[in-house]
Amino acid sequence: MAAADLNAIRATVEGRLATELANSPALPVVFNNMAYEPTPNSSWVQCLTAFGANEYLGHGLTTSGYNRIVGLTLINIFTPKGAGPGANLVIGKRIRDLYNRIIVSGVFFDAPNGPEATGSPSPEGYFQTQVRVAFEFIEEL
Amino acid sequence: MATIRGESGSVEFETGSGTLATVVGTRSWSLSITKETLDTTVHGNTFRQFIGSMISGSGTVELVYDPDATGQAGLIEDIIKSPDTADASFELFTTGSTNGQDSVSFGGIITDMEITSTVGELVIATCNFITSSTITSNLD
Repeated sequence: MAAADLNAIRATVEGRLATELANSPALPVVFNNMAYEPTPNSSWVQCLTAFGANEYLGHGLTTSGYNRIVGLTLINIFTPKGAGPGANLVIGKRIRDLYNRIIVSGVFFDAPNGPEATGSPSPEGYFQTQVRVAFEFIEEL
Repeated sequence: MATIRGESGSVEFETGSGTLATVVGTRSWSLSITKETLDTTVHGNTFRQFIGSMISGSGTVELVYDPDATGQAGLIEDIIKSPDTADASFELFTTGSTNGQDSVSFGGIITDMEITSTVGELVIATCNFITSSTITSNLD
């Protein structure tokens, strides 16, 4: 038992996406704090993982204790503007299927929310939807 | 003054064939101790009077179920022990895990065990017990 390795959890979340989007048809994927200049009229994906609330689950302070670590991954899907939502939803399904109620390396993924179209794409010039995947990890000290 | 938060507690248990050891993954315990009373009111008394009599206790230990956690199986499976001669031992700590300190210890019998699996929640096991014989308080 040991304190949670947040980078290992992040790698579990992001690694699945990177592996899937490297398959055909491959898509560029960009993660937190990475520079990226999208090609106009292309499709690409942005993945932002953040950790949120933590809570005690059991007795024991620094030994034999259990904590719940909760996180959220926001996945923005960008497809060419003015071409309808179909291509975007195809990517959305690939992403949703990656996380839907699965457990990987101790990370419990909830059923994803979305893809939900956003009113103001950022960056502009694309049709953007967002998939939100909540996850939790049980830390065993 | 030193207040204590619940997460600093712990539970030790043994089934009667081993030694007290921490049950990993407990998330709460409770103990209620009751003293019966005997009415000693006699003719001439204006106010009813009592003396203390038999003392007994009961309570609950709640677990975040983990099949690999040390001590959990012994606790939650003690319910199916038969015959049960009340040879199990408990020590419930408000803080730390030093035997005989900040704790209550007693022999007892687990009388109910409930394990619950609910979508979206952790699997939780709850064991109810009654005390048998002496209850030793180290809460001072």
